[in-house]
Amino acid sequence: MKPLNFLALILFIAGLVWVFTLSEKSVRHIQQSYYSAISPLIKKGSESESFANKFLEEVAHSADLEKLVEQVIEERDRFKLIAGRVRELEGENNQLRNALNFKKKTQFDVVAARVVRKQPQMWGKTIEIDRGTDDGFEAEPEFDLCVLASNGGLVGRLQLSGEQISSVLLITDEISQVSAKVEGTSEVGIVVGRQTTFGQTPQLRLRYLSKTAILQKGLKVYTDGRGKLFPPNIPIGTIEDFEVGPVYGEAEIKPAVDFTNLKNVFVITDSPGD
Amino acid sequence: MLLYSISLTGLLLLSCIVQQFLPSVSSWYDARILILPLIVLCGSVTVSTGTMLILAYLGGFLWDAQQILSVTQGDPVVYQNSPDSLKFGYSVVLYTLMGFLMQGIRPIFREGKWYLSAALTGVAIFLYLFVEYLLRGFVVGGFNLNDGMLQQIWATSILTMLLSPLIFWILFRVADLCGHTIRYKN
Repeated sequence: MKPLNFLALILFIAGLVWVFTLSEKSVRHIQQSYYSAISPLIKKGSESESFANKFLEEVAHSADLEKLVEQVIEERDRFKLIAGRVRELEGENNQLRNALNFKKKTQFDVVAARVVRKQPQMWGKTIEIDRGTDDGFEAEPEFDLCVLASNGGLVGRLQLSGEQISSVLLITDEISQVSAKVEGTSEVGIVVGRQTTFGQTPQLRLRYLSKTAILQKGLKVYTDGRGKLFPPNIPIGTIEDFEVGPVYGEAEIKPAVDFTNLKNVFVITDSPGD
Repeated sequence: MLLYSISLTGLLLLSCIVQQFLPSVSSWYDARILILPLIVLCGSVTVSTGTMLILAYLGGFLWDAQQILSVTQGDPVVYQNSPDSLKFGYSVVLYTLMGFLMQGIRPIFREGKWYLSAALTGVAIFLYLFVEYLLRGFVVGGFNLNDGMLQQIWATSILTMLLSPLIFWILFRVADLCGHTIRYKN
Protein backbone atom coordinates (compact mmCIF):
# COMPACT_ATOMS: atom_id res chain seq x y z
CA MET A 1 0.00 0.00 0.00
CA LYS A 2 1.27 3.45 -0.91
CA PRO A 3 2.12 5.66 2.10
CA LEU A 4 -0.38 8.34 1.02
CA ASN A 5 -3.18 5.80 0.68
CA PHE A 6 -2.29 4.42 4.09
CA LEU A 7 -2.41 7.91 5.58
CA ALA A 8 -5.78 8.53 3.91
CA LEU A 9 -7.09 5.24 5.34
CA ILE A 10 -5.97 6.19 8.84
CA LEU A 11 -7.60 9.61 8.49
CA PHE A 12 -10.75 8.01 7.13
CA ILE A 13 -11.03 5.55 10.02
CA ALA A 14 -10.36 8.30 12.57
CA GLY A 15 -13.00 10.48 10.91
CA LEU A 16 -15.48 7.63 10.88
CA VAL A 17 -14.98 6.94 14.58
CA TRP A 18 -15.41 10.64 15.33
CA VAL A 19 -18.59 10.99 13.27
CA PHE A 20 -20.22 7.89 14.75
CA THR A 21 -19.52 9.01 18.29
CA LEU A 22 -20.98 12.48 17.89
CA SER A 23 -23.63 13.33 20.47
CA GLU A 24 -27.16 14.25 19.35
CA LYS A 25 -26.48 17.83 20.38
CA SER A 26 -23.33 18.00 18.26
CA VAL A 27 -25.16 16.52 15.27
CA ARG A 28 -27.90 19.09 15.64
CA HIS A 29 -25.33 21.85 15.93
CA ILE A 30 -23.60 20.67 12.74
CA GLN A 31 -26.91 20.47 10.91
CA GLN A 32 -27.99 23.88 12.19
CA SER A 33 -24.70 25.45 11.05
CA TYR A 34 -25.03 23.78 7.66
CA TYR A 35 -28.68 24.83 7.34
CA SER A 36 -27.91 28.44 8.33
CA ALA A 37 -25.10 28.60 5.80
CA ILE A 38 -27.16 27.19 2.98
CA SER A 39 -30.57 28.71 3.85
CA PRO A 40 -30.37 31.67 1.42
CA LEU A 41 -29.76 29.15 -1.36
CA ILE A 42 -32.60 26.92 -0.16
CA LYS A 43 -34.94 29.89 -0.47
CA LYS A 44 -33.74 30.56 -4.00
CA GLY A 45 -33.94 26.85 -4.72
CA SER A 46 -37.52 26.64 -3.53
CA GLU A 47 -38.40 29.57 -5.80
CA SER A 48 -36.87 27.78 -8.77
CA GLU A 49 -38.74 24.61 -7.81
CA SER A 50 -42.05 26.52 -7.73
CA PHE A 51 -41.20 28.00 -11.11
CA ALA A 52 -40.35 24.60 -12.56
CA ASN A 53 -43.55 23.05 -11.21
CA LYS A 54 -45.63 25.89 -12.62
CA PHE A 55 -43.90 25.49 -15.95
CA LEU A 56 -44.58 21.74 -16.01
CA GLU A 57 -48.21 22.37 -15.12
CA GLU A 58 -48.40 24.88 -17.95
CA VAL A 59 -46.91 22.34 -20.35
CA ALA A 60 -49.37 19.68 -19.21
CA HIS A 61 -52.29 22.06 -19.62
CA SER A 62 -51.23 23.43 -22.98
CA ALA A 63 -51.95 20.14 -24.75
CA ASP A 64 -55.47 20.10 -23.30
CA LEU A 65 -55.99 23.70 -24.28
CA GLU A 66 -54.96 23.01 -27.84
CA LYS A 67 -57.65 20.37 -28.15
CA LEU A 68 -60.12 22.72 -26.60
CA VAL A 69 -59.26 25.51 -29.02
CA GLU A 70 -60.07 23.19 -31.89
CA GLN A 71 -63.47 22.43 -30.42
CA VAL A 72 -64.81 25.70 -29.14
CA ILE A 73 -64.81 29.27 -30.30
CA GLU A 74 -62.22 31.74 -29.05
CA GLU A 75 -64.65 33.84 -27.09
CA ARG A 76 -65.97 30.92 -25.11
CA ASP A 77 -62.41 29.92 -24.24
CA ARG A 78 -61.65 33.36 -22.99
CA PHE A 79 -64.64 33.29 -20.67
CA LYS A 80 -63.68 29.86 -19.47
CA LEU A 81 -60.23 31.07 -18.59
CA ILE A 82 -61.69 34.07 -16.79
CA ALA A 83 -64.08 31.81 -14.89
CA GLY A 84 -61.19 29.51 -14.01
CA ARG A 85 -59.15 32.40 -12.71
CA VAL A 86 -62.10 33.64 -10.66
CA ARG A 87 -62.50 30.19 -9.11
CA GLU A 88 -58.79 30.09 -8.35
CA LEU A 89 -58.93 33.50 -6.70
CA GLU A 90 -62.06 32.48 -4.83
CA GLY A 91 -60.27 29.36 -3.54
CA GLU A 92 -57.24 31.38 -2.55
CA ASN A 93 -59.48 33.96 -0.91
CA ASN A 94 -61.27 31.26 1.11
CA GLN A 95 -57.97 29.74 2.14
CA LEU A 96 -56.59 33.07 3.30
CA ARG A 97 -59.88 33.86 5.04
CA ASN A 98 -59.67 30.55 6.90
CA ALA A 99 -56.09 31.30 7.78
CA LEU A 100 -57.01 34.74 9.07
CA ASN A 101 -59.91 33.35 11.08
CA PHE A 102 -57.64 30.70 12.53
CA LYS A 103 -55.10 33.30 13.59
CA LYS A 104 -57.88 35.30 15.28
CA LYS A 105 -59.46 32.27 16.95
CA THR A 106 -56.41 30.41 18.20
CA GLN A 107 -55.42 30.68 21.84
CA PHE A 108 -51.72 30.42 20.98
CA ASP A 109 -49.21 33.02 19.87
CA VAL A 110 -48.73 32.05 16.26
CA VAL A 111 -46.70 33.18 13.28
CA ALA A 112 -48.27 32.55 9.88
CA ALA A 113 -46.01 31.03 7.23
CA ARG A 114 -46.22 29.90 3.62
CA VAL A 115 -45.06 26.47 2.55
CA VAL A 116 -42.33 27.10 -0.01
CA ARG A 117 -41.15 23.56 -0.63
CA LYS A 118 -42.53 20.10 0.01
CA GLN A 119 -40.37 17.09 0.74
CA PRO A 120 -36.97 18.42 -0.32
CA GLN A 121 -35.44 15.10 0.72
CA MET A 122 -35.67 11.69 -0.88
CA TRP A 123 -37.26 9.84 2.04
CA GLY A 124 -37.66 12.19 5.01
CA LYS A 125 -41.04 13.87 5.27
CA THR A 126 -40.37 17.54 5.72
CA ILE A 127 -41.56 20.85 4.33
CA GLU A 128 -39.90 24.23 4.20
CA ILE A 129 -41.63 27.43 5.26
CA ASP A 130 -40.78 31.06 4.58
CA ARG A 131 -40.10 32.04 8.19
CA GLY A 132 -36.85 31.78 10.06
CA THR A 133 -34.57 33.36 12.62
CA ASP A 134 -35.35 36.80 11.14
CA ASP A 135 -38.91 36.25 12.33
CA GLY A 136 -37.86 35.47 15.88
CA PHE A 137 -37.32 31.70 15.70
CA GLU A 138 -34.28 30.58 17.63
CA ALA A 139 -31.53 28.81 15.69
CA GLU A 140 -30.96 26.29 18.46
CA PRO A 141 -34.10 26.40 20.61
CA GLU A 142 -34.66 24.54 23.88
CA PHE A 143 -37.83 23.01 22.45
CA ASP A 144 -39.04 22.50 18.89
CA LEU A 145 -41.81 24.88 17.87
CA CYS A 146 -45.12 23.26 17.00
CA VAL A 147 -46.66 23.80 13.55
CA LEU A 148 -50.39 23.76 12.75
CA ALA A 149 -52.48 23.90 9.58
CA SER A 150 -55.17 26.52 9.02
CA ASN A 151 -57.85 24.02 10.09
CA GLY A 152 -56.06 23.73 13.45
CA GLY A 153 -54.71 20.24 12.74
CA LEU A 154 -51.22 19.25 13.78
CA VAL A 155 -48.65 19.47 10.98
CA GLY A 156 -45.39 18.79 12.80
CA ARG A 157 -42.61 20.65 14.50
CA LEU A 158 -39.81 22.96 13.50
CA GLN A 159 -36.59 21.09 12.96
CA LEU A 160 -34.05 23.62 11.68
CA SER A 161 -34.15 27.36 11.07
CA GLY A 162 -32.21 29.54 8.67
CA GLU A 163 -32.55 33.31 8.33
CA GLN A 164 -35.72 33.35 6.25
CA ILE A 165 -36.56 29.71 5.96
CA SER A 166 -37.23 26.79 8.30
CA SER A 167 -37.57 23.07 7.95
CA VAL A 168 -40.59 21.37 9.50
CA LEU A 169 -40.62 17.67 10.33
CA LEU A 170 -44.10 16.36 9.53
CA ILE A 171 -45.92 14.06 11.94
CA THR A 172 -46.14 11.54 9.09
CA ASP A 173 -42.39 10.88 9.21
CA GLU A 174 -41.27 7.65 10.91
CA ILE A 175 -39.15 9.44 13.52
CA SER A 176 -42.02 11.69 14.60
CA GLN A 177 -43.79 10.83 17.85
CA VAL A 178 -46.79 12.61 19.34
CA SER A 179 -48.36 11.77 22.66
CA ALA A 180 -52.11 11.54 22.01
CA LYS A 181 -55.52 10.77 23.50
CA VAL A 182 -58.73 9.51 21.95
CA GLU A 183 -61.82 11.67 22.48
CA GLY A 184 -64.43 10.33 24.84
CA THR A 185 -62.19 7.56 26.17
CA SER A 186 -59.37 7.21 28.66
CA GLU A 187 -57.11 5.82 25.94
CA VAL A 188 -53.72 7.46 25.46
CA GLY A 189 -50.90 6.42 23.16
CA ILE A 190 -48.18 7.64 20.86
CA VAL A 191 -48.91 8.65 17.26
CA VAL A 192 -46.10 7.72 14.88
CA GLY A 193 -45.65 8.25 11.15
CA ARG A 194 -45.26 5.43 8.68
CA GLN A 195 -42.83 4.85 5.85
CA THR A 196 -44.62 5.78 2.63
CA THR A 197 -43.36 6.30 -0.91
CA PHE A 198 -44.48 7.82 -4.19
CA GLY A 199 -48.22 7.47 -4.75
CA GLN A 200 -49.06 6.52 -1.17
CA THR A 201 -51.11 8.71 1.13
CA PRO A 202 -49.49 9.72 4.41
CA GLN A 203 -50.37 7.40 7.25
CA LEU A 204 -50.30 7.58 11.01
CA ARG A 205 -50.48 4.87 13.67
CA LEU A 206 -51.62 5.31 17.26
CA ARG A 207 -49.58 2.84 19.30
CA TYR A 208 -49.50 1.57 22.88
CA LEU A 209 -53.27 1.55 23.36
CA SER A 210 -54.79 -0.98 25.74
CA LYS A 211 -55.87 -4.27 24.21
CA THR A 212 -59.34 -3.90 25.65
CA ALA A 213 -59.95 -0.49 24.12
CA ILE A 214 -63.23 -0.07 22.26
CA LEU A 215 -62.44 2.41 19.52
CA GLN A 216 -64.86 3.08 16.72
CA LYS A 217 -64.08 4.48 13.32
CA GLY A 218 -64.38 8.25 13.23
CA LEU A 219 -63.33 8.95 16.82
CA LYS A 220 -61.10 11.98 16.99
CA VAL A 221 -57.51 11.89 18.23
CA TYR A 222 -55.92 14.90 19.92
CA THR A 223 -52.56 15.75 21.43
CA ASP A 224 -52.69 15.19 25.18
CA GLY A 225 -49.97 17.66 26.13
CA ARG A 226 -47.81 15.13 27.96
CA GLY A 227 -44.12 14.85 27.23
CA LYS A 228 -43.32 18.57 26.78
CA LEU A 229 -43.40 18.45 22.99
CA PHE A 230 -46.88 19.55 21.90
CA PRO A 231 -49.59 21.65 23.57
CA PRO A 232 -52.77 19.71 24.48
CA ASN A 233 -56.00 19.39 22.46
CA ILE A 234 -54.62 19.89 18.97
CA PRO A 235 -56.44 17.66 16.45
CA ILE A 236 -54.24 14.96 14.95
CA GLY A 237 -56.77 12.92 13.01
CA THR A 238 -59.57 10.39 13.19
CA ILE A 239 -59.51 6.67 13.84
CA GLU A 240 -59.87 4.52 10.73
CA ASP A 241 -59.21 1.08 12.12
CA PHE A 242 -58.25 -0.61 15.38
CA GLU A 243 -56.20 -3.79 15.75
CA VAL A 244 -55.31 -5.74 18.84
CA GLY A 245 -51.68 -6.85 18.94
CA PRO A 246 -49.93 -9.31 21.26
CA VAL A 247 -49.13 -6.64 23.88
CA TYR A 248 -50.86 -3.41 22.85
CA GLY A 249 -53.71 -2.19 20.71
CA GLU A 250 -52.88 -0.12 17.64
CA ALA A 251 -55.08 2.19 15.57
CA GLU A 252 -54.79 3.49 12.03
CA ILE A 253 -55.28 7.26 11.97
CA LYS A 254 -56.42 9.44 9.09
CA PRO A 255 -54.56 12.77 9.49
CA ALA A 256 -56.63 15.89 10.18
CA VAL A 257 -54.38 17.78 7.78
CA ASP A 258 -54.36 17.36 4.02
CA PHE A 259 -50.59 17.20 3.61
CA THR A 260 -50.71 17.12 -0.18
CA ASN A 261 -52.44 20.49 -0.41
CA LEU A 262 -50.71 22.24 2.46
CA LYS A 263 -50.05 25.86 1.54
CA ASN A 264 -50.16 27.92 4.74
CA VAL A 265 -49.16 26.90 8.24
CA PHE A 266 -48.93 28.50 11.68
CA VAL A 267 -45.99 28.18 14.01
CA ILE A 268 -46.86 28.28 17.71
CA THR A 269 -44.22 30.39 19.40
CA ASP A 270 -45.33 29.56 22.99
CA SER A 271 -43.56 26.88 24.96
CA PRO A 272 -45.56 23.64 24.80
CA GLY A 273 -45.13 23.37 28.60
CA ASP A 274 -46.10 20.23 30.38
CA MET B 1 -2.92 15.53 -8.19
CA LEU B 2 -3.26 17.74 -5.11
CA LEU B 3 -4.71 20.58 -7.14
CA TYR B 4 -7.17 18.21 -8.78
CA SER B 5 -8.23 16.82 -5.38
CA ILE B 6 -8.82 20.33 -4.07
CA SER B 7 -10.83 21.17 -7.21
CA LEU B 8 -12.87 18.01 -6.66
CA THR B 9 -13.61 19.12 -3.11
CA GLY B 10 -14.66 22.49 -4.50
CA LEU B 11 -16.98 20.74 -6.95
CA LEU B 12 -18.43 18.74 -4.08
CA LEU B 13 -19.22 21.91 -2.13
CA LEU B 14 -20.66 23.47 -5.28
CA SER B 15 -22.89 20.44 -5.75
CA CYS B 16 -24.42 21.06 -2.28
CA ILE B 17 -25.55 24.43 -3.61
CA VAL B 18 -26.70 23.10 -6.98
CA GLN B 19 -28.66 20.34 -5.23
CA GLN B 20 -30.93 23.03 -3.74
CA PHE B 21 -31.91 24.13 -7.25
CA LEU B 22 -32.81 20.70 -8.54
CA PRO B 23 -36.49 20.01 -7.95
CA SER B 24 -38.08 16.60 -7.93
CA VAL B 25 -40.04 15.63 -11.03
CA SER B 26 -43.46 15.17 -9.49
CA SER B 27 -44.91 13.93 -12.78
CA TRP B 28 -42.33 11.11 -12.99
CA TYR B 29 -42.40 9.18 -9.70
CA ASP B 30 -41.02 12.14 -7.76
CA ALA B 31 -37.63 11.36 -9.28
CA ARG B 32 -34.75 13.72 -8.60
CA ILE B 33 -31.17 14.27 -9.66
CA LEU B 34 -28.80 13.48 -6.82
CA ILE B 35 -25.90 15.64 -7.89
CA LEU B 36 -23.79 15.32 -4.73
CA PRO B 37 -23.60 11.50 -4.78
CA LEU B 38 -22.98 11.71 -8.51
CA ILE B 39 -19.92 13.94 -8.00
CA VAL B 40 -18.59 11.46 -5.44
CA LEU B 41 -19.18 8.52 -7.81
CA CYS B 42 -17.71 10.15 -10.89
CA GLY B 43 -14.86 11.63 -8.89
CA SER B 44 -14.06 8.26 -7.30
CA VAL B 45 -13.17 6.70 -10.60
CA THR B 46 -10.74 9.49 -11.48
CA VAL B 47 -8.60 9.39 -8.34
CA SER B 48 -6.56 6.96 -6.27
CA THR B 49 -8.12 4.90 -3.46
CA GLY B 50 -6.81 7.21 -0.75
CA THR B 51 -8.34 10.32 -2.33
CA MET B 52 -11.55 8.38 -2.98
CA LEU B 53 -11.82 7.66 0.75
CA ILE B 54 -11.47 11.34 1.61
CA LEU B 55 -13.96 12.27 -1.11
CA ALA B 56 -16.49 9.70 0.14
CA TYR B 57 -16.03 10.93 3.69
CA LEU B 58 -16.65 14.56 2.76
CA GLY B 59 -19.57 13.66 0.51
CA GLY B 60 -21.21 11.44 3.12
CA PHE B 61 -20.70 14.01 5.85
CA LEU B 62 -22.25 16.82 3.81
CA TRP B 63 -25.09 14.57 2.67
CA ASP B 64 -25.97 13.60 6.23
CA ALA B 65 -25.74 17.19 7.41
CA GLN B 66 -28.37 17.91 4.79
CA GLN B 67 -30.55 14.81 5.02
CA ILE B 68 -30.56 13.34 8.53
CA LEU B 69 -33.65 14.27 10.49
CA SER B 70 -33.14 15.09 14.12
CA VAL B 71 -35.59 16.36 16.68
CA THR B 72 -35.44 17.11 20.38
CA GLN B 73 -36.66 14.25 22.52
CA GLY B 74 -39.68 14.64 24.73
CA ASP B 75 -40.08 13.63 28.36
CA PRO B 76 -38.70 10.06 28.57
CA VAL B 77 -41.51 9.12 30.97
CA VAL B 78 -44.03 9.65 28.18
CA TYR B 79 -41.84 8.93 25.14
CA GLN B 80 -40.32 5.74 26.49
CA ASN B 81 -39.40 4.36 23.09
CA SER B 82 -37.45 7.20 21.51
CA PRO B 83 -37.68 7.09 17.71
CA ASP B 84 -34.76 5.37 16.10
CA SER B 85 -33.26 6.96 13.03
CA LEU B 86 -30.17 6.33 10.98
CA LYS B 87 -26.99 7.41 12.72
CA PHE B 88 -25.25 10.51 11.43
CA GLY B 89 -22.38 9.25 9.30
CA TYR B 90 -24.08 6.22 7.74
CA SER B 91 -23.80 7.86 4.32
CA VAL B 92 -20.02 7.95 4.70
CA VAL B 93 -20.03 4.15 4.83
CA LEU B 94 -22.43 3.84 1.90
CA TYR B 95 -20.53 6.38 -0.18
CA THR B 96 -17.29 4.51 0.51
CA LEU B 97 -18.84 1.23 -0.65
CA MET B 98 -20.10 2.96 -3.79
CA GLY B 99 -16.65 4.48 -4.27
CA PHE B 100 -15.05 1.03 -4.13
CA LEU B 101 -17.63 -0.22 -6.62
CA MET B 102 -16.67 2.55 -9.01
CA GLN B 103 -12.97 1.96 -8.46
CA GLY B 104 -13.50 -1.67 -9.48
CA ILE B 105 -13.72 -0.64 -13.13
CA ARG B 106 -11.16 2.15 -12.92
CA PRO B 107 -8.69 0.36 -15.24
CA ILE B 108 -11.39 0.18 -17.93
CA PHE B 109 -12.25 3.82 -17.31
CA ARG B 110 -8.60 4.78 -17.69
CA GLU B 111 -8.58 3.06 -21.07
CA GLY B 112 -11.11 5.65 -22.15
CA LYS B 113 -14.32 3.64 -21.78
CA TRP B 114 -16.04 6.24 -19.64
CA TYR B 115 -19.53 5.11 -20.70
CA LEU B 116 -19.21 1.94 -18.61
CA SER B 117 -18.51 4.04 -15.55
CA ALA B 118 -21.42 6.30 -16.48
CA ALA B 119 -23.72 3.27 -16.58
CA LEU B 120 -22.29 2.05 -13.30
CA THR B 121 -23.19 5.34 -11.60
CA GLY B 122 -26.84 4.47 -12.28
CA VAL B 123 -26.39 1.02 -10.73
CA ALA B 124 -24.53 2.47 -7.76
CA ILE B 125 -27.21 5.12 -7.13
CA PHE B 126 -29.91 2.45 -7.34
CA LEU B 127 -28.07 0.25 -4.83
CA TYR B 128 -27.38 3.19 -2.57
CA LEU B 129 -31.03 4.30 -2.46
CA PHE B 130 -32.32 0.76 -2.09
CA VAL B 131 -29.95 -0.01 0.79
CA GLU B 132 -30.74 3.35 2.40
CA TYR B 133 -34.46 2.64 2.18
CA LEU B 134 -34.01 -0.84 3.66
CA LEU B 135 -31.85 0.56 6.45
CA ARG B 136 -34.50 3.14 7.30
CA GLY B 137 -37.12 0.42 7.39
CA PHE B 138 -34.88 -1.81 9.50
CA VAL B 139 -34.14 0.93 12.02
CA VAL B 140 -37.79 1.92 12.52
CA GLY B 141 -38.83 -1.71 12.54
CA GLY B 142 -41.18 -1.88 9.57
CA PHE B 143 -40.52 -2.53 5.92
CA ASN B 144 -42.83 -1.08 3.35
CA LEU B 145 -41.64 -2.57 0.08
CA ASN B 146 -43.88 -1.53 -2.77
CA ASP B 147 -43.94 -0.59 -6.43
CA GLY B 148 -43.97 3.14 -5.67
CA MET B 149 -40.68 2.87 -3.81
CA LEU B 150 -39.01 0.89 -6.61
CA GLN B 151 -40.32 3.27 -9.27
CA GLN B 152 -39.05 6.26 -7.33
CA ILE B 153 -35.63 4.65 -6.91
CA TRP B 154 -35.10 3.54 -10.48
CA ALA B 155 -36.42 6.82 -11.91
CA THR B 156 -34.02 8.75 -9.67
CA SER B 157 -31.15 6.43 -10.66
CA ILE B 158 -31.82 6.90 -14.38
CA LEU B 159 -32.23 10.65 -14.08
CA THR B 160 -28.99 10.94 -12.11
CA MET B 161 -27.15 8.58 -14.46
CA LEU B 162 -28.13 10.68 -17.48
CA LEU B 163 -26.20 13.57 -16.00
CA SER B 164 -23.01 11.55 -15.47
CA PRO B 165 -21.50 12.19 -18.96
CA LEU B 166 -21.66 15.92 -18.24
CA ILE B 167 -19.97 15.41 -14.87
CA PHE B 168 -17.25 13.29 -16.48
CA TRP B 169 -16.74 15.98 -19.11
CA ILE B 170 -16.35 18.61 -16.36
CA LEU B 171 -13.91 16.35 -14.48
CA PHE B 172 -11.81 15.81 -17.62
CA ARG B 173 -11.66 19.57 -18.17
CA VAL B 174 -10.73 20.22 -14.56
CA ALA B 175 -8.09 17.46 -14.71
CA ASP B 176 -6.59 19.05 -17.84
CA LEU B 177 -6.44 22.42 -16.12
CA CYS B 178 -4.83 20.89 -13.04
CA GLY B 179 -2.39 18.78 -15.02
CA HIS B 180 -3.83 15.58 -13.56
CA THR B 181 -3.78 12.47 -15.75
CA ILE B 182 -6.99 10.45 -15.64
CA ARG B 183 -6.60 8.24 -18.70
CA TYR B 184 -3.64 6.00 -19.49
CA LYS B 185 -1.27 7.75 -21.84
CA ASN B 186 -1.11 6.17 -25.29
